[in-house]
Formats: sequence, C-alpha cells, structure tokens
Amino acid sequence: MASYAIRKSINLAPTVRALPNGIPSAPRLNLVARAPSDGHGHGAAGPRADVPTRLTGTVTSPSVGLVSKTFVAPPPTTHLHQRLIHTSVAVKDAPQVPDFTPYTPKDETTNRAMSYFMVGSLGVLSASVAQSTITGFLETMAASADVLALAKTEVELASIPEGKNVIIKWRGKPVFIRHRTPDEIEEARTVDLKALRDPQRDEDRVKKPEWLVMLGVCTHLGCVPIGESGDYGGWFCPCHGSHYDISGRARKGPAPLNLEIPPYDFNDAEGKLVVG
Amino acid sequence: MAFANAFYNTIAKRNSVFVTSIFAGAFAFNVGFDVAVTNFWDRWNQGKQWKDIRSRYVEASDS
Repeated sequence: MASYAIRKSINLAPTVRALPNGIPSAPRLNLVARAPSDGHGHGAAGPRADVPTRLTGTVTSPSVGLVSKTFVAPPPTTHLHQRLIHTSVAVKDAPQVPDFTPYTPKDETTNRAMSYFMVGSLGVLSASVAQSTITGFLETMAASADVLALAKTEVELASIPEGKNVIIKWRGKPVFIRHRTPDEIEEARTVDLKALRDPQRDEDRVKKPEWLVMLGVCTHLGCVPIGESGDYGGWFCPCHGSHYDISGRARKGPAPLNLEIPPYDFNDAEGKLVVG
Repeated sequence: MAFANAFYNTIAKRNSVFVTSIFAGAFAFNVGFDVAVTNFWDRWNQGKQWKDIRSRYVEASDS
C-alpha cells in the first residue's frame, strides 16, 4: 500500500467570516498547532498524536479505490474558544500559584501568643487614649482654678471679739458674721415663732450659737442692712426700713424673708470660718 | 515558647480575663505615661518653673 501523508491533527481558527463556498475564512490556519501544556502532568494537550482522529479526517481503502475524508471545520477538541488570531497576550488558564508551604505555621500555638499580645496592646493603647479624651472633655466642664479660688472665703474667728460684727466679701456679696453674746443667743431663742413673718428657729439658722453667719443682702430689694441698729437689736435696712432681729429674721418693714444663710463651715483646727 | 504559652494560658484564654487585664493595663499605662512625661518635662524645663525658683522669692519677701 502506498504511503500517504496523513495530517494527524487540524485546528481551525475561529472565524467571523465564511468564504463564498461555505468554508470559514482561515487565512493563517496553523495545521500543527497544539494547545499549550498546562503543566498538570497529563502530557501534551490536544488530540492524541499516535492515531488520527475521526474528527480531522479519515483515510479508508475500500475494495475500490481510496477514499479520503477531511472535515474542514472540526469541533474544538480542547480549550474551547481559544482564539489563535488576535494581538493580545494569551491568558493562561491556570496562573501559577506560589508555594506557600514555608509560610504556614507548624502548629496552632506558633504565633498564637504574639497575635493575642498585639491585639491586647492595641486594646491597651485605645483604652488609654479613650480615657484621656473623655477626661479632657469632662475637665472642660469643671470650674476653672480662678473661679474655685474666688468661691471660698476664710475668716480668722479669733480676730472677732464677742458682740462685734464683721462684714466680709464673698462672691461679690457682703456676708455678716456676728459673734453673739450669751444674752443675744438667749434673746434669739426665746422669740415666739408665731409672731414671726418667716418663722424659723434660731437653732436652724446657726451651726454654733455664738456665730451667726448670713448674707448681708436685704431680702426686700437687696440693700445692705446696717448692723447693731433697728428696733430689735439686730440689723436695719436704711433703704425701706426693714428691721431684722439678732438672728437675722425679718421682724418689721417690707422685707418678706429672713436674711439668707450661705453655706459655711468651721475649721476648728485653725480656728477659721470658711464661707462657700 | 514557654513564656508565650504561659501568657496565652493565663491572660488570653478567657475573654473576661483578657478584657479585664486590658483595662488594668490601660490604667497602669496611663499612670506610667503621665509620670514619664512629667519627669521629662521637669527635667527639660529645669530652673524655669515656679517650683524651682520659688525659694528665691519667698525667702526674699520673708512671708
């Protein structure tokens, strides 16, 4: 039998145009093209090289003559839609994946403590920053140092003799401090409460009976009363004639209320009175 | 490795302990940072602050 050259494989490029005789236009048909090896160890891709495929054509020798069939448009065998005629670089089907084995930990305890330590350190820093931020914000709402310094006034009690008045300034207002004698205390405590305009016991108005501390602002219209005067031996407001007794209670005149008591405290260790 | 395992077993294993120690650490860090910065500030401004030069003036005025 004569030998015939048989093309073992044929690979037609996909085309968009057909020739007038119906054959797809393939001007740069590469008859020896193979699909590229994908490196997975399955050998060369494409049709088997040892036998001609039925897809590409057959040569048979029946009893009469020689029949050779060739399919001009065989279906793709591998790499569906592989475009052979184009200008861009062919995209690899399976890009090469790096080998990460050297980086994988040997067991779960390898980096565990370090990871938790980093998380914890970030937590410590964040908590500290948050605490500082909140503290700083709250400090803006607190009274400033000059306000706090003005808010309290100290008086040396030993410098006030019995039966004398002292007027000090506290937050811009006068404060009366009277060192009362036992007679005055007795007088203030025996007043009939029912006769008072603003009934208040003397025990409730003083912390120590000999020291009477009150705001020197008349409850009527805010004048400063004069000490040791008036019909009741206490204070007298010259503006509209209000009389206060020795406990600072309104007794006569237009004043509706007793003289106000500021917050104060005794510092017994240093013998001082702290107003405010 | 032993130290890392001890750290994990004592502190990081239970979340309650972990969070508590984070807050405790934040408090300690706050205090330590404050002390460190204050010390640095005082050293940097040595002789310029009132508490450094107070003795000169208080003795002079004698009050």
